[in-house]
Amino acid sequence: MAGSALRRLMAEYKQLTLNPPEGIIAGPINEENFFEWEALITGPEGTCFEGGVFPAKLIFPPDYPLSPPKMQFTCEMFHPNIYADGRVCISILHAPGDDPMGYESSAERWSPVQSVEKILLSVVSMLAEPNDESGANVDAAKMWREDRAEFNRIAERIVRKTLGIPTP
Amino acid sequence: MRAVGAILISLVLTTAVIGNAYYQKKQFYPSVVYITKSNPSMAVIYLQAFILVILMGKLMRKVFFGQLRAAEFEHLMERSWYAVTETCLAFTVFRDDFSPKFIALFTLLLFLKSFHWLAEDRVDYMERSPVISWLFHIRVLSLLLMLGFLDTHFVCHAYQSTVTKGASVQLVFGFEYAILLTIIVNILIKYALHTVDLNSENPWENKAVFLLYTELVMGFFKVLLYLAFVVIMVRIYTLPLFALRPMYYTMRAFKKAFNDVILSRRAIHNMNTLYPDATPEELAAADNVCIICREEMVTASKKLPCNHIFHTSCLRSWFQRQQTCPTCRLNILRTPTAPSHAPPPQPAAAPAAGGAAGPAPAGVAPPGLGMAPIPPGVNPFQPFGGPGPIWHMWQQAAAAAGQRAGDQQQQQQQPRQQQQQSSGSGSGGQSTSASGSGANAPSNQAGGASGGGAQPPQQPGTSTGSNVPVFCPFPFLPFMPPPPMPPANFAGLSLEELQRMEGHARENVEARLQCLRNIQLLLDASVTMMHQYSMVVQSTARMPPPSSPPQASTSANNTSSEPVPKPSVTPAETRHKFEKGDNLEGAAGPSINTTTTPTTTTTETGNSEASPVNDETREQQEIRRRRLQKFAQTSQTTE
Ligand SMILES: [Zn+2]
Ligand SMILES: [Zn+2]
Repeated sequence: MAGSALRRLMAEYKQLTLNPPEGIIAGPINEENFFEWEALITGPEGTCFEGGVFPAKLIFPPDYPLSPPKMQFTCEMFHPNIYADGRVCISILHAPGDDPMGYESSAERWSPVQSVEKILLSVVSMLAEPNDESGANVDAAKMWREDRAEFNRIAERIVRKTLGIPTP
Repeated sequence: MRAVGAILISLVLTTAVIGNAYYQKKQFYPSVVYITKSNPSMAVIYLQAFILVILMGKLMRKVFFGQLRAAEFEHLMERSWYAVTETCLAFTVFRDDFSPKFIALFTLLLFLKSFHWLAEDRVDYMERSPVISWLFHIRVLSLLLMLGFLDTHFVCHAYQSTVTKGASVQLVFGFEYAILLTIIVNILIKYALHTVDLNSENPWENKAVFLLYTELVMGFFKVLLYLAFVVIMVRIYTLPLFALRPMYYTMRAFKKAFNDVILSRRAIHNMNTLYPDATPEELAAADNVCIICREEMVTASKKLPCNHIFHTSCLRSWFQRQQTCPTCRLNILRTPTAPSHAPPPQPAAAPAAGGAAGPAPAGVAPPGLGMAPIPPGVNPFQPFGGPGPIWHMWQQAAAAAGQRAGDQQQQQQQPRQQQQQSSGSGSGGQSTSASGSGANAPSNQAGGASGGGAQPPQQPGTSTGSNVPVFCPFPFLPFMPPPPMPPANFAGLSLEELQRMEGHARENVEARLQCLRNIQLLLDASVTMMHQYSMVVQSTARMPPPSSPPQASTSANNTSSEPVPKPSVTPAETRHKFEKGDNLEGAAGPSINTTTTPTTTTTETGNSEASPVNDETREQQEIRRRRLQKFAQTSQTTE
């Protein structure tokens, strides 16, 4: 019998394959290692990220689901809640008590109730509605608050880049 | 390409050097002497040796590991970097022994070390991959055996060298290989555990505990080794700076393993003493899927005070990290305890409670009082020294009482009709001025008893803990003693009691507090009773006998006339609320609406009586409804 973390990841993978949420694809990079996943997230409609397809990487800890996975976009991103290196900073990815930004309530924190699907859906809604109090990318947060037009322009450039369309 | 080029160049250079020497000297020994005397030639030879070692390493890596995974490679690079710097530090201590042989030995050590790290990563990988081939087992086993043999050999060699020739750099090697040997033993144990787990039919729940203890014991040995080494080095040479960083990490790992073991023991202890095993009925009533591992709960499950059910083993590993309910985040630390500064001295307050509640509880209270003052810290999950054992018994009895309460209600249907008014106010609303003199109705006792067990934890902030002396009789006498029923107005209080509550002196205030606390306790009890009823109704509603649900509903109805029906919202009802307009009211079963009037209850019973045949379709509809709800949520968040 495989370990419990592996069994749960396999169950989640099965669930995501049979019943994929709209606009999200996720699964192990290599089915021999279920602790490293890749995900493709489509930008939510009606936002500046609309149309983009953003690849990301999910690394699961050995004690998943007791500890949350880490998520990192592998494409260029410009967003208040995403670090410059692509790491995603949202409360669902933090265990209670580990609060790098000091703004999250423990109700939204990681617990075994959460799942890959919920994480990815939270990321989609994060793309739609940035939380500009989080300082993962201070420049992006500032621009989101003060110069939305410029922010949208950068977002559009990133969307084009993920689709392989040259920027005009 | 560059690597191949370097290999070729070095090969050509070596051939040139050797060829040149042989050409000049024509014989073997003179050529060797010539090469060793010439520095440039020696440099070429060293380079060649180095490249050979690297090639050898690559070959061994191919043989034992195949392709390295990216994570393994990163890990290896990071650790090698530290190892190389530490080796350079070690050179400074032994600069007198500096020689080619010395460098060769250190290089060999580095190589073996990196193989140990890789073996460690590989064995950890066993937990991550669903496909573990025979080749994997053969590779790991042969590698571990080979490394173990080499480590032992070098330890023995170093020991003999030190004994015969005195302390030298061999001390460092001996110690390093001893550490590596502990690593090998550790990996072997892990490998054995993983293999047993992989080959067992069922999930092996205690594996995590075994791993914890392995970590602890091996960590302990390593710490001892490091300490011994540092002491010896300080006495013979100087402070071994190069050993400080690994020593620090070893100690940290040991401390962590120690903490983990303690936390795990606490978690196990708490689960065994505080939380009852989930009964098959409860499992059937709940979703039956453990939210931690997403697998069905067939065996060994525990129920938390918030009624959420999990696998025992899953809960244990979670409690090692956090003492909250994974689903609702109820802090189980704070739950069944009283504030540490609970002011009123119980002996003084008890008579007041007894006077108000009738003699029975006061008579049984002392055993509870005797058990209550557990010294703080005895139960680590209850830092305020709460009444752990009592709580446990109380809950177990309450679970049983809940079952019986359901049965009893069936027999008491008739009297209940007349007592509706009085019992409703008696259990639900002492704080109001309702004339609840019929508070001793037997049906109420049953309700109070069944309710008393499960629920107070839902109000973490309240001082339910101090009520334990009043409540704990129930486990021993589930139905006999009437729950404390203070009269609704002052008429029932004796003059003495009234006097005790008047005035501003400390005891007056305490008496008033006690009175208020009794009221609160009763409110809690009614709330829990409601909950218990709805649970009973839920479980009975799934079974054929159609007569019991309406009674439970009516009894719940009695008490819900007061403003406390909040926790009585069962999962079924919540769903029901969310899906109004789904046109499935009747199918959701009679349990859902605890606040309806008796007439509607009967109509609902009629429905459920008419439709037991449709159980299966109902189930399917239920599933479909949940799916729809999920999709609705999903699309909401997506938008
Ligand atoms: Zn479980
Ligand atoms: Zn809970």
